[in-house]
Amino acid sequence: MSEVQIDAAGHAEPSFSTKLIWRTFWVLLIITVIELALAIIYYETHFLPKHFLNGLFIVGTLAKAFFIIAEFMHLKHELKAMVMTLVFPSLLFIWFVIAFLWDGNSYRDLRNRYDSHHLEQSKTPAAKKPGME
Amino acid sequence: MSQAVQAGQKLWGGGKSPYNVEYGKLMMWFFLMSDAFTFGAFLISYGSIRFASNSWPDPNHVFKTFPIVGEMRVPLAFVSLMTFILIMSSVTMVLAVAAGHNNDRKGVMKWMVWTILGGLAFLSCQAWEWTHLYAEGAWWGRNPFMNIDGTQSSTNFTNFFFTITGFHGFHVFSGVIINIIMLIMTWKGTFERRGHYLMIEKAGLYWHFVDLVWVFVFTCFYLL
Amino acid sequence: MSSDTILHGHSDVVTSHDVHLDEHGAHHHKETFITKYIFSQDHKMISKQFLITGMIWAIIGGLMSVIFRLQLGYPDTTFPILEDIFGKWAPGGKISPDFYYALVTMHGTIMVFFVLTGGLSGTFANFLVPLQIGARDMAAPFLNMLSYWAFFTASIIMISSLFLTAGPASGGWTVYPPLSALGDATDGSKAGMDFWIVAMVFFVVSSLLGGLNYITTILNMRTKGMSMVRMPLTIWALLFTAILGVLSFPVLLSGLILLLFDRHAGTSFYLSDIFIASTQKALPNEGGSAILFQHLFWFLGHPEVYIIILPTMGLVSEVMAVNSRKPIFGYRAMVGSLFAICILSLLVWAHHMFVTGMNPFLGSVFTLLTLLIAVPSAIKVFNWLTTLWKGNLRFTPGMLFSIGFVSMFISGGLTGIFLGNSTLDIHLHDTYFNIAHFHLVMGVAAFFGMFAGVYHWFPKMYGRYMNNTMGYIHFWVTMIGAYLIFWPMHYEGLAGMPRRYMDYSNWVSFRQFEDLNRFISTVAIVVFAVQLMFVFNFFYSIFKGRRVTTQNPWGATTLEWTTPIRPGHGNWVSEIPEVHRWAYDYGKDGREFISQAEPVGSNESSGH
Repeated sequence: MSEVQIDAAGHAEPSFSTKLIWRTFWVLLIITVIELALAIIYYETHFLPKHFLNGLFIVGTLAKAFFIIAEFMHLKHELKAMVMTLVFPSLLFIWFVIAFLWDGNSYRDLRNRYDSHHLEQSKTPAAKKPGME
Repeated sequence: MSQAVQAGQKLWGGGKSPYNVEYGKLMMWFFLMSDAFTFGAFLISYGSIRFASNSWPDPNHVFKTFPIVGEMRVPLAFVSLMTFILIMSSVTMVLAVAAGHNNDRKGVMKWMVWTILGGLAFLSCQAWEWTHLYAEGAWWGRNPFMNIDGTQSSTNFTNFFFTITGFHGFHVFSGVIINIIMLIMTWKGTFERRGHYLMIEKAGLYWHFVDLVWVFVFTCFYLL
Repeated sequence: MSSDTILHGHSDVVTSHDVHLDEHGAHHHKETFITKYIFSQDHKMISKQFLITGMIWAIIGGLMSVIFRLQLGYPDTTFPILEDIFGKWAPGGKISPDFYYALVTMHGTIMVFFVLTGGLSGTFANFLVPLQIGARDMAAPFLNMLSYWAFFTASIIMISSLFLTAGPASGGWTVYPPLSALGDATDGSKAGMDFWIVAMVFFVVSSLLGGLNYITTILNMRTKGMSMVRMPLTIWALLFTAILGVLSFPVLLSGLILLLFDRHAGTSFYLSDIFIASTQKALPNEGGSAILFQHLFWFLGHPEVYIIILPTMGLVSEVMAVNSRKPIFGYRAMVGSLFAICILSLLVWAHHMFVTGMNPFLGSVFTLLTLLIAVPSAIKVFNWLTTLWKGNLRFTPGMLFSIGFVSMFISGGLTGIFLGNSTLDIHLHDTYFNIAHFHLVMGVAAFFGMFAGVYHWFPKMYGRYMNNTMGYIHFWVTMIGAYLIFWPMHYEGLAGMPRRYMDYSNWVSFRQFEDLNRFISTVAIVVFAVQLMFVFNFFYSIFKGRRVTTQNPWGATTLEWTTPIRPGHGNWVSEIPEVHRWAYDYGKDGREFISQAEPVGSNESSGH
């Protein structure tokens, strides 16, 4: 059925452009290198606040995900209905992430408030273990 | 409603795929959607536990070694290499799919071989990294690393690391197997006789998904 | 386009036999017993396999409830026969506490997953999707077959856990850690728990294979003219069900994998601050969170209850419209509310966790989202009632069960509004009020929808009718019995009687319910016996039931009634019919019904 459709649908499937593939590769590589550079610079010099960096990392990750899905997985070149069918369920991740992290954070507060032993423990520096320099 | 369907609705009018996509590819997409929730659940659980902890080990400190060269000054160098390998193999996979679109059997085979090699290289890197961490005393239920503030760390850092990278590695492994099967089928001319290389495209989707997951694993474990 | 291409869609899928081009129907196929009845790729046969496996599970699960109801109704009496059957599990004819917990755990697991998910979706999605959208089979018949066999494997593993020395899992069907994570915690935390997890992993695989198939088939394989808004509501409901499964089952899979690591690899994903009384020592596990598992479990668990109820909503809508001889009222509102329920059900999971120590403010968000579900549910109830309104009702057993479904759905649904409220839930949580709520709304109601479907489509499945008299007895006893069983439980729950206790006689406050409990148990046994009569009716009718003589015995509009009385693999003998209208043209222009396959007449009044 499919072969017939793809040929007869009048919707010319754009063939993969090698140029576009390599461009996507460079974009992915550059984002990754920037992320790494920032991470290493932070490790050495504590340049920029960590929270700000984390934000940058997440934006970079989402950008990379977009390029992989849109270009490598070719979703950008599919029909819009298909894109929406896949994007819409993914929105569930938003609430998934918010609720889980929110409750994780709340659990920490709860323990710190009611479990003083735990709080004390988590403030006491540990003895260096063998195997660590 | 029972009148003739409008021109705009024709795609949804039945008798053909509304997405103009063959069923197997659609199924692969929905499978990847569900698999994304498997990985999502792992990573979000990791996030939840990390949010529930007062402190956490510093990845820059843990992942800082490189094979042969030994203790490198640059942290995260090795994982950068792994990331590069995986992105690269994704590129070769797209090139294989592109060659398939042009019914270029030789091209498909060439790029599939490169993709498989990339996958194997990634798996080897992972094997080395795991061995190295194991030698440092890290494993499921064992965590030699301390929190960034010098306090005792729970074992969940290594628990999640090995579980999630392991699950990802398992996906890479099965991807390599699938790719090898695809290579053999291409070599035998199965797709050429069929007249299209849609199977390569579906295998490609899976392979890119593995790459996609790695992007998130990379961020969650090595950067944040 | 040859029909062969349509069925196979793509030459990747290799079916072993070439049945659909055969003009003579099902009789001349070179099918062996094995390819026809065991490793069949025909969606109709797979559906029957799911149905019969589900029925076997339902008998086992129901029998378990009879055994623990015996204990609850007669806590002081001994039944020597129990010792004869169960040996050390019922010493002296009184079931042991471990056995009691194993029974309630397995009753829940079996009913929720194996009967009302596998048995229900597996049966009706497989049976109705290709038939009602006009396809010769599923998109991928081979994967469809694998879906059943993964379900079968899960069943075998789960059932063998019943025969382990230490018994099956017994920490509740929700398998919360630490009981499920610490292998030494109870007998039910031992190998039985591992069997439970492995069985559920196979179950998830089965559900994914099935769900992906249903979605792709519905989207891609509709016959010409079958636009989305012409699909019967059954198909819409099954589509949303499949989407819920595909999005939420993987999360359970992840949760169970982490649980396996906690059990066997020394990790502490869910464990922290555990002190063992017997050894007077604390476990080294530190830093995990038991609440995390509950989040992961209910991320599936809540959509799961809608995976159970949505298909039955679809079945009931269809059966009701056919037997009211009226179009379904508010078709678009029905689809819209199915969609709304589908989305909301994915967002409300933590309303099962109000008393776990979850952040109360987060709980209030979940309360809000939960109460929103009342809106689409009420729309659906309204539409069912208005469909019945002034209809020419035909009280077939299927129709009776559909009406019973609406009754149960209202009664059980209303108490959901109480329970979804995080403040009220503090009192009601883990009481019999909760038991009454979910048994009415997703237990009995879902069973009613399933019965409606079985009675209604039995003629299509086997070419014979089920016995009506037994059907009526089945309906009335079950209907009245279900209310007699579960209505009193609301009062027990409001009085604070907790669930999962095997003996309440030690509490003065609950001793007053002794007679009531005995009454409930008696009714439960009667109702269970009537279900056995249904099973008898089912199997008897397969072989001896009254034969169907017309193609369309109910006078229904949908496509499955345009196939031969006993359709072969491929469903339609010649071309698949083209669809020209929506699925609910009943009583239009003075005609009783107009099949979807009939072209629109030139002087036909417009409408849908």
